[in-house]
Amino acid sequence: MKLLRQAREVARVDLVVEGRVGETLRVIVPFAVAALLVLPLAQGPNLALLRQVGAAVFWTLAVLFGMQIALRQSANDTDARRDFYALSGVDPAARFLGRTVSGTILLTVFLAVLFLATLALYDPPVAGGDLPALVLAVVLFAYGLAALATLAGEVSAGLRSRGALASLIVAPLSLPLVLGAAQTAAGIGRDAGILSWSLLLLATDIALTVVGIAVAGPLEEART
Amino acid sequence: MRLAAVQPLVVFEGIGVTRDGNALLTDVDLEVAPGDVVGVSGPNGSGKTTLLRLVATLIRPNRGSGTVLGARMGTAETFGIRERIGLIGHEPALVPELTVFENLDHIARLGGLDRTRVMPVLETVGLGGAAHRRVRAASRGMQRRVEIAHMLLRQPELLLLDEAASGLDADASGLIDALTRRVTSSGGAVVTVSHDPAHLDGCTRQLRISAGRLALR
Amino acid sequence: MTRVRIWFALAGVALAAGLWMALSAPVDALQGVWFRLFYIHVSTMWFGMLAFLVTAVASIAWLIRKKQRWDRLAAASVEAGVLFTGIGLVVGMIWGKAVWGVAWDWEDPRLASTAVMFFVYLGYLALRAAVGDPEARARRSAVLGAIAAVQVPLVYFSVNLFRTLHQTQTVRPDGMTMSPEMRPAFFVNLLAFTLLYVALVQARTFVAKREEARSQIEVAAGDAVVPPRLDEVHDV
Repeated sequence: MKLLRQAREVARVDLVVEGRVGETLRVIVPFAVAALLVLPLAQGPNLALLRQVGAAVFWTLAVLFGMQIALRQSANDTDARRDFYALSGVDPAARFLGRTVSGTILLTVFLAVLFLATLALYDPPVAGGDLPALVLAVVLFAYGLAALATLAGEVSAGLRSRGALASLIVAPLSLPLVLGAAQTAAGIGRDAGILSWSLLLLATDIALTVVGIAVAGPLEEART
Repeated sequence: MRLAAVQPLVVFEGIGVTRDGNALLTDVDLEVAPGDVVGVSGPNGSGKTTLLRLVATLIRPNRGSGTVLGARMGTAETFGIRERIGLIGHEPALVPELTVFENLDHIARLGGLDRTRVMPVLETVGLGGAAHRRVRAASRGMQRRVEIAHMLLRQPELLLLDEAASGLDADASGLIDALTRRVTSSGGAVVTVSHDPAHLDGCTRQLRISAGRLALR
Repeated sequence: MTRVRIWFALAGVALAAGLWMALSAPVDALQGVWFRLFYIHVSTMWFGMLAFLVTAVASIAWLIRKKQRWDRLAAASVEAGVLFTGIGLVVGMIWGKAVWGVAWDWEDPRLASTAVMFFVYLGYLALRAAVGDPEARARRSAVLGAIAAVQVPLVYFSVNLFRTLHQTQTVRPDGMTMSPEMRPAFFVNLLAFTLLYVALVQARTFVAKREEARSQIEVAAGDAVVPPRLDEVHDV
């Protein structure tokens, strides 16, 4: 199917370029891990406090730096590249899906590294729990953030202050994702019910996908 | 015996484009028939690139009406015909971190084209030996050849060239001419714009654009 | 390349010997078997800091002499330093978790300062990756490499300046704090990591030299672009 073929190709090239440039793994990920140092150094070494806020700090950095990872491709788009995609017959919905998939993969790697670093530096309580459910929650969060950032990138494309604007769009709209993922992870740790929070996460992802595909064409038209 | 009427590829009637309160194009009438090579010259800022992007359906007109390859301007119909249009613009539309070969392979995969044609096309444009060089490290002339290879791969019906010949050596200029002949001999048409009228020798028709208005040269 | 292989072979033998000796050495009275991580942790942290000092010297040498070999050495040494420091931090965290009950102690300035140093040099590597032009890359890296090294003495002496959970230096001007039975394993591992550091830097500078030579060839290889075959354009 043409849509899936084009989406797969957009995602593939996006990951190849990232592999060669390394902006995510060489710059953003270390920067995010370094940011974990700020709170303890500013607050003072209060271990009990750090254990308590570890999860919250993780999700805060996950959104703030995850946004940068997911927005980087839109930020690097030139008008010539956008015209190229338009005239190559690439379905705007395929471009949306492809970028969301590549963003999801990069975000998942980022979240795994950030999780390990938070574990080491903040020693938050992590019960055994249901690891597959936790991984699924993280992947759903990554997908949602990638879809949201791709959408925000398209909405703000071509505008002078698009970097700040796209971030401003993503941050508040990511709250359902943060809520769903954080509460699911906390619930797994406490061995409490996670169904409603997981469904919030899933519903948000589905909504973002449907909206993203539906508005891709009109947003492309709005460029003209 | 009656001959079937040849449908023009582009028809503009009284087209006007305004952006941010500025009239970029005013009252443009244009007809491009199969086999035409239309040259448009004009000073910087006269609207040449805007005209080309309009023909490419990348811009919507604010006034007038028109069709490109049968699709009405400013409607969703244009989405369906864009694949049949090729544009070599000011800025290269290549992925700098990919090699020359990978850029064309990417185009072929996106368009569902025959990927086995990529290397022969590169060899035709003289880039067979540079196929595995990153585009980022390539000169502007080399990048231009890659864009020409792109057009050979896609075989557009309507070829649009924006200052395509500027900065090119004799070999690459020859490629542009050969590409133009290929498109027109297959029933397509070419619209080429340049600030230098000397680059437009060989066009079947020459127009001049000034302050957004088009006229015969 | 043969020389690089020899260094790696020597390092491999020494590492194997060091590992064997670390596993055979007596355990610490308080820390038990976890103390064996000491042999890796101290060596890697030691060579991490040494590598960054080498970078500083090479960076200053480049700024004065502008010879490419100093830039290659600086960059190779940072890569080795980041690798060793990263390993040292991870091993230290495992050791800390086992012995102190916490992987990371925020009250310990050596840990915090080492982590900051680690990220500064990650930034050095990111800076190098972002600059395409070799001379501009060398210049910017040299400035950062020279400045960043001020952290090394701060990290090294932080255990003396503050009373922390971290043990003080093992080797001091007034002697060693380690029991004599453990010293052979310590010194063999120190030798092994010395050889490994030299091997890594040699290998990396060799590769860097080849990469530079290749990019020179690419720039000069205008003959990769040949005249187009205009008669084929219609049918290709």
